[in-house]
Amino acid sequence: MKIKKITIFSGRNKQGEKESFEKIEILAGQKIGIVGPTGSGKSQLLYDIEKLSQGETKTLRKILINDNKVQKDLRTDPARKIIGYLTQHMNFMTDTTVQNFLEIHIMTRGRHRSEESTKELVEKIIDSANTITGEEISKNTNLLILSGGQSRALMVADLAYVSESPIILIDEIENAGIRIKEALDLLIKKGKIIFLVTHNPILALDTDKRLVMKKGAISNIIYTSVKERGIANYLSWINNYLLNVREEVRKGKKVEELRLICTPVGGEK
Amino acid sequence: MKMVIFGGTPGSGKTSVIKFVMQELKDLSIHYAKFDVLTTEDHLLIKDKFEISTEKKISGEICPDHYAALEIPKIVEKHKNKDLIIIETAGLCLRCSPYINEGLAINILNILAGKPSSYGPLLTHADLVAITKGDLISQAEREIFRSEVLKVARNASIIEANGLTGEGAIDIAEAIKESPEIKGKLTLKHSMPTAVCGYCYGNKTIDSEKTLKRYSLGKELKARIPNLNCGKCGFKSCNEFIRAVLDKKVNEDTCPYLEGKKG
Repeated sequence: MKIKKITIFSGRNKQGEKESFEKIEILAGQKIGIVGPTGSGKSQLLYDIEKLSQGETKTLRKILINDNKVQKDLRTDPARKIIGYLTQHMNFMTDTTVQNFLEIHIMTRGRHRSEESTKELVEKIIDSANTITGEEISKNTNLLILSGGQSRALMVADLAYVSESPIILIDEIENAGIRIKEALDLLIKKGKIIFLVTHNPILALDTDKRLVMKKGAISNIIYTSVKERGIANYLSWINNYLLNVREEVRKGKKVEELRLICTPVGGEK
Repeated sequence: MKMVIFGGTPGSGKTSVIKFVMQELKDLSIHYAKFDVLTTEDHLLIKDKFEISTEKKISGEICPDHYAALEIPKIVEKHKNKDLIIIETAGLCLRCSPYINEGLAINILNILAGKPSSYGPLLTHADLVAITKGDLISQAEREIFRSEVLKVARNASIIEANGLTGEGAIDIAEAIKESPEIKGKLTLKHSMPTAVCGYCYGNKTIDSEKTLKRYSLGKELKARIPNLNCGKCGFKSCNEFIRAVLDKKVNEDTCPYLEGKKG
């Protein structure tokens, strides 16, 4: 199913008052931020979208895809599901190798064509995971001993290549140990729509627009400015720099020089 | 009247999910019964929150699921004016779970609690499987788990539920509303394992001869009592009564219906 557009029709806030907009349209390839304090309704909005609700949830919001309602199996059957979800927690519980785990997931998703193609896909996922994290993942690593950064990187790459859901929901992904902006670029490359609950400025300022949540309602929509994107880029650079230094420390090296762009050249007298 | 039975291992989030489901069923008159082995407060929590009739059923010395099967007809009779009876099992046995054909059987399945293939009828005979704690692991593993569940519970519908946020409660409530009315004789979806050894009659010594002896004595006594679980002897079930007799804690004459009773 080719997704061109998602439409959110307004519902009600926690007090039962109507949200202040009629509808919000989101086009393929867009990144949408969701911001607001705890209890403001961020997770509920993600839930409404994941459920592709038709007014049955407590917010009464309606979500349409390409101006139509969505059949039930496209919402639930993992092999056909159009929505992928990257949750806050990314622990693994299966005692197996990275390679075996990815192979099982490829089977589950109905994407196994031949042994060779699956093997190639597994390699591709691990390679791209390794572009996001500093600590290299090998295909024989046991899933259970992956670090937080490695797990996140692996799941992002898995979401990009195995799940292929055209709509992706991300709930407060942490940036510790991964190149967070590159991770999102990997996901969005394929014209996906991304909803992102985050207060991480690297991500929030790099969206197309941000939905500001208040008392259970979408209270404001901020269109990201060019300036904000510039700031996001710079913060991302700092994050990646931090990651590199972290790797130096991990490798047992000494870190005696700070190479931030903003340090004036020859600043020392 | 409709009846739904919630089964699931301890800590799977049964009570939490049930609370969210009840929130969606406020237009129905509901009776809630919680079965447990030792103790429970759940019936009080639910009574306070929803102001409906609730009760606890403590099985003590006998299997809580067998006990539930014994008690269900009494609950139905007592609350036949209600729209819905919700039974929450103790969830200790994967084999006995007292699902009935006429009602709806829901398994609350903790995604962290092992492989679906090692579950028995608790999972395989459920009409609906609500998978909880999925938010603690990756989406990929959730998808794999789901397909593993479908391998053993082919006809079940699967819902991802969450006892903290209430996710999935609407779908469960919908399934309950669409479930058939119960009428006539109720039947178990699967037979429960037989209890046929001395240990079932409370033997503690690991010795086959003594166990066999205890079993024969228990069996002989069981044949002479009506197995009504009437409670007139002061025990909840006939089996408990038999154990007490074998332990010489009580005289067999305490049963008012004992066959060949003197006087």
